[in-house]
Parts: sequence; C-alpha cells; structure tokens
Amino acid sequence: MKINISRQNIYLLSLSVILFIFVLIFSFSLLIPEGKEYRLKRAEFKKESLELRKYENFKDEVAQKLGELRSDNRHVITAYDREFDPQRFEKTHKDYFKSLNISQKTQVENKEEFNVYEVNTTSQINSPKSFYDFLDAVNKSDWIISINFPIIFKREDEMIRSSFTMKVYNNQSDSNTTASVVE
Amino acid sequence: MKYSYIKPRKKSIFTSEIQLLIVFFGITIFMLFLTYFFLVFKDYRFTQDKIDMIAQRENADISIVDMEKKITYIEKQVILSESIFTKNTVLKDSIANMFDLVPQRITLSEAKLLENGLVLYGIAPNKDVYDFMLQAPLRSIFHRTYSSFYPADNGWIRFVSTNYVDKEVEVVEEEMLLEDAEMIDEDATDYEEVEYEN
Repeated sequence: MKINISRQNIYLLSLSVILFIFVLIFSFSLLIPEGKEYRLKRAEFKKESLELRKYENFKDEVAQKLGELRSDNRHVITAYDREFDPQRFEKTHKDYFKSLNISQKTQVENKEEFNVYEVNTTSQINSPKSFYDFLDAVNKSDWIISINFPIIFKREDEMIRSSFTMKVYNNQSDSNTTASVVE
Repeated sequence: MKYSYIKPRKKSIFTSEIQLLIVFFGITIFMLFLTYFFLVFKDYRFTQDKIDMIAQRENADISIVDMEKKITYIEKQVILSESIFTKNTVLKDSIANMFDLVPQRITLSEAKLLENGLVLYGIAPNKDVYDFMLQAPLRSIFHRTYSSFYPADNGWIRFVSTNYVDKEVEVVEEEMLLEDAEMIDEDATDYEEVEYEN
C-alpha cells in the first residue's frame, strides 16, 4: 500500500506540529508559572491592603482621640506652653488686691517632664474673700499655677498683708507636644 | 481560473491552507503573548503596590506611635493640672475654714499656714474665751497644739497658738507594716531552711 502525501500536505503538517509544540512549550514553561505567581501575588496584595486598611482605621481612631483631647483641654495645653510673665499676671489679677508684688521667677526642681518655677508674692487685700476669689481666678488663668505653703496673713491697720509662694509649671523645651499644640 | 500552457501561474509555498493555518496560529500566539505580558505587568504592579503599602504602613505606624506619645503627654498635663486646681481649691476651703474657726470675740493679728501646721497670733478678752472658743476646735483638728499668752495693754491677752498635724502617725504605721513584712519574710526563710534540712 502506497501512501501518497503531497509536499503541500507535508509542509502543512510539519508547520502545524512545530507551532503546536511551540504553544505547548510556551504555555508550560512561561505562562502557567507566571499565572501561579500572579495568583500568589494577588493574594498577598489583598492581605497587605487589608492590613493597611486596619492600620489606617486605627490611625484615624488615634487621631480622633488626640483631636478630642486637644480640643477638650486646649486651655490647659496652651497654659503649659506659655512662659510666665509677671507683668501680665499682675495686670490680670490686680483687681483682687490693693497692691501686688511679684518676684522674678526662679527655677526649682523639675517634676517629671515639666519645668517648675517658683515666684514669691506679697500683696495687700481688703478681706479674705478677695483671696478666695484670687484662688478661683488662678485656676482659670493663662498659666498652670499652684499656690504653696507657707501662706502668711498679717494684719496692717484695716488691710491684710499676705505673702505666699506660687509654683508655675511649664513644658520642658524638648517636650514632644510643645510643637504639636501650635498646630 | 484560466489555464495556460504558455504562461504557467506561479506556485507559492503559502497556499491558502497554510495562510489560514498561519493566521490561526498567529492569533493564538498573539493571545498567548498578550496574556503573558498582562500577567507580567500585573505581577510588577502588585510588587510595586505592596512596597508602597508597606511604606504607608510604616508611616502609619510611626505616626500612631507619635500620636500615642502626644496623648500620653497631654493626659499627664491634664492629670497634673487637675491635681493643682484641686489643691488650690482645697487650699481656699482650708483658709476659709480657718477664718470661720475664729470667733467674733477673738481678733487675729497674724496667721501662718504651714505645710503641716498653723500658727495664729491674736488677741482675746481672756484665757477662757480663747480656751473654749478657739483652742478646743483647734485641738480637734491638729495633733499637737501649743499656746502661749502675754498681757495686752487694754487688759486683754495676746496669744500665740502653734498647731501641728503629725505625719509621724503615718510613718509609724508604715514602719509597722514594714516590720510585719520583714517578720513574714523571716518566717518564710525559716520555713525554707527547715524544708532544706529535711
């Protein structure tokens, strides 16, 4: 039996086989491994983006908490940042006293992360009521001030001479929130 | 189609069948290459995006740590300021109480408020008034009260009342607690020694 295959058909067949082999080799050596890598990387990407979203959400929560703290305590935060100014203090609180003298501030021991300054004060008042009003006003003043012992009241005719020490609390200059408050 | 013996038509290797085959495989190979390059491009994008996301996460981490530091610091500021404000208010109440304590018949000339005590200078009609109307309430507040008197020009008496609150009571209590703790430690050590001997 003689198989009669024309040259044309041989070309056709050989070309088909070559191309078919090329497609197979290409698919198995390049396309399929690349596809597997694509799936792996896509899974990693999804995992990373989920993680990032969690971080972003947590960051937003912390930022919101920080914002609320700042807005709730704006007065306190700015008070710690403000340098004590004896003239301004005198001007603000002179209404409570007949006379008010404030010494220059001297730095005393630091408390944790705060600088503490001491200021000696002598004043004349009409009645103890003025002093109570002054203590109320100190809590609302532009600085964080604690009135310290010893407090001396001495009668001078119709007036009372009072002398006491005040401690003023400030942020330390390298504190991490000094800049943030200005923001 | 015309057939001629004089002008034979040229025979090409690219017959219509081969052309069809080439087109078919051409499209297939083109699609395969396209898929491959798409995957390579997406892989590259995923890698780049992942690097970006890691950088963003690190930035978020840094800013979270920074914000938490600020929160801690603000909380410290608030706690300290609240304790200062409370101390000032308590001080105001203490001074008010001190002045309320002094009856109408006794006149103060000086008052010294100390960390753990109170010194009062003043004038009273007589010692009994001082004893009953000032010293008695002072005794109930302070642990130690000392009084000294000297006569005034108008027949009244001048007094100096020195009053202290003992912090030693707390210290003694702490010492007793420490002693107890030491005794318990000693007992425990003895017990361990006995066990060791056994």
